[in-house]
Amino acid sequence: MKILKYLIAAGFFAATSALVTAPAAAQSHDCGSVTLADMNWSSATFIANLDRFVLEHAYGCDAELIPGDTVPTGTSMIEKGKPDIASELWTNSFRDALDAGVKEGRLVIAGKSLSDGGQEAFWVPRYLVEKHPELATIQGVIKNAGLFRNPEDPTQSVLMGCPSGWACQISVENMAKAMNLGDAGFIVRDPGSSAGLSGSLTRAYEREKPWLGYYWAPTALLGKFDMVAVDFGSGIDLEGYVNCITQVDCENPQPTMFPPAPVLTVAVSDLAKRAPDAVDYLSKRAFTNAFLNGLLAWMEENQADGEIAAVHFLNENEAVWRPWVSDAAAARIKSALASL
Amino acid sequence: MADTSWWVTFPQMERETLVGFRKALDGAYRDFSRSYGDAIEAFFEPLLFFLVWFERLLINAPWWAVLVVVCALVFLVGRSWKIVAGTAVAFLLIGYFGMWKDTMSTMSIITVCTLIAIALGVPIGIVMARSDRARTIVTPILDVMQTMPAFVYLIPVVMLLGIGKVPGVIAVVIYAIPPVIRLTNLGIRLVDRDVLEAADAFGASGWQRLVGVQIPLALPTIMAGINQTIMMALAMVVIASMIGVQGLGQPVLRSITNQYFTLGLLNGLAIVALAIVFDRVSQAYGRRMQLQYERISNV
Repeated sequence: MKILKYLIAAGFFAATSALVTAPAAAQSHDCGSVTLADMNWSSATFIANLDRFVLEHAYGCDAELIPGDTVPTGTSMIEKGKPDIASELWTNSFRDALDAGVKEGRLVIAGKSLSDGGQEAFWVPRYLVEKHPELATIQGVIKNAGLFRNPEDPTQSVLMGCPSGWACQISVENMAKAMNLGDAGFIVRDPGSSAGLSGSLTRAYEREKPWLGYYWAPTALLGKFDMVAVDFGSGIDLEGYVNCITQVDCENPQPTMFPPAPVLTVAVSDLAKRAPDAVDYLSKRAFTNAFLNGLLAWMEENQADGEIAAVHFLNENEAVWRPWVSDAAAARIKSALASL
Repeated sequence: MADTSWWVTFPQMERETLVGFRKALDGAYRDFSRSYGDAIEAFFEPLLFFLVWFERLLINAPWWAVLVVVCALVFLVGRSWKIVAGTAVAFLLIGYFGMWKDTMSTMSIITVCTLIAIALGVPIGIVMARSDRARTIVTPILDVMQTMPAFVYLIPVVMLLGIGKVPGVIAVVIYAIPPVIRLTNLGIRLVDRDVLEAADAFGASGWQRLVGVQIPLALPTIMAGINQTIMMALAMVVIASMIGVQGLGQPVLRSITNQYFTLGLLNGLAIVALAIVFDRVSQAYGRRMQLQYERISNV
């Protein structure tokens, strides 16, 4: 019994001392607690970790990463106002919901994460195009359908589509319909997951086998493997894309290439009120695809996760990030890096 | 003073060493996959051919023919009208809600997986039961198979065999086979020592003892193992669909990513219905086999 009494007293003491010391740890310009969505692809986790580091050390936020994905995070931000920031939101698929959220005043579009926009396309490996130059166009692909045989059904050819649940799954199927790939013997294969899609491309490229499918830049895989985007010959029909190709019930899809996908940094409007300088940083922070492809290839080669990549970027590429933050914030970032 | 940071943070390997180690293993596996990949694919060709043929058979056959054959099989194996009626109702509902094709795909691949798991698992369980050394070797392997996250061993399989049915079968069998092995081993080991002595006294050979005494008496436990294997095989349906296996797993994945609750619920219920049908049938078969043995022993 005596020991129990001592234990309770010790616990009470520890709790009160923790409460006392906690406020002292907070920075002087406190922006409060901020949650960021950490999505599971390389560029998104890199940018999310970078934002977390900068918000924590330069702007005094209590920044935390929580796992997320495009549609669930977007929905959660609109409906529940959590997480506070989505650093790399691919908005081409649920633009309507996003615009509604902005109009209702729940969300603000802080800026563009990818200044070039995301580049989506159907890709073929360069070694294949070197052997068959006509594969750079969709007509050439249709003529050479025999190259992309389905091992499970030799009468079919395979266009590797998007995994179940990705917004691009609808677009890819509609585009295949628009270009009559079905008549040429193509089926759109669902790889099941991002790992399945990357695995299928990696396996084909390592063995120098033919591969045709959807992929997007900026990614480590496209930074590592030299691929050629297939030209549909139709140019970009933005209206057709937005109104029909991305919709499930598209009656009569017309051929169009993927327009550059707007990839935005989105924050809840409440954040703009309590941390305006953080939002100002978010609005300036943007990457070109060329730069990101290189960084992602570095991440892949060094098996780096988002956190390591963010620190590497801050250490190595000061010229790139210096213009995004004020002098005082830059000094705080540098001292935080030095103390790592 | 000496750096005592190890007092607080674990003294871990240098990051460069760890990365070098990981890259070396990855590189070694990549070389292995490049040299032996084609040979291993050729080895699995017959299995792939059979899987594709079986799936196409189930999908292209008229639905009422499949329903009649399934109900007939259920009756022949189970001899219970209740199970037949339940099966018919379940399949009719599945078809009515638009899940027939996916259910046929899942049923074809899961049937093959459970048959492979049982055909491989029961003999391994028997070997484990007869030899303590076999048990010490096999048990940690079973532990790994059951707890290692599926994607960890799926990545090398996908790199070797691509995405599709064969990696799906490998994934499901690896996950589903441990229960039948463990419970077969347990059931045979639990057979009463006196009964075994009596069998020896009557001059039974090792094989006669196994087939005539140990397996019949261990049957309830073995059937429990088969039941668990079936359940776990169906639980893997969603993970298998993550590496491109067609079936009920894909709508479930779509519902997870897009937050369509009802779609996920309906397809999940179809998976549950399949599991219950498979399980009741195998349990009824087990009970009939047991009755047969009891009838023989009561003569």
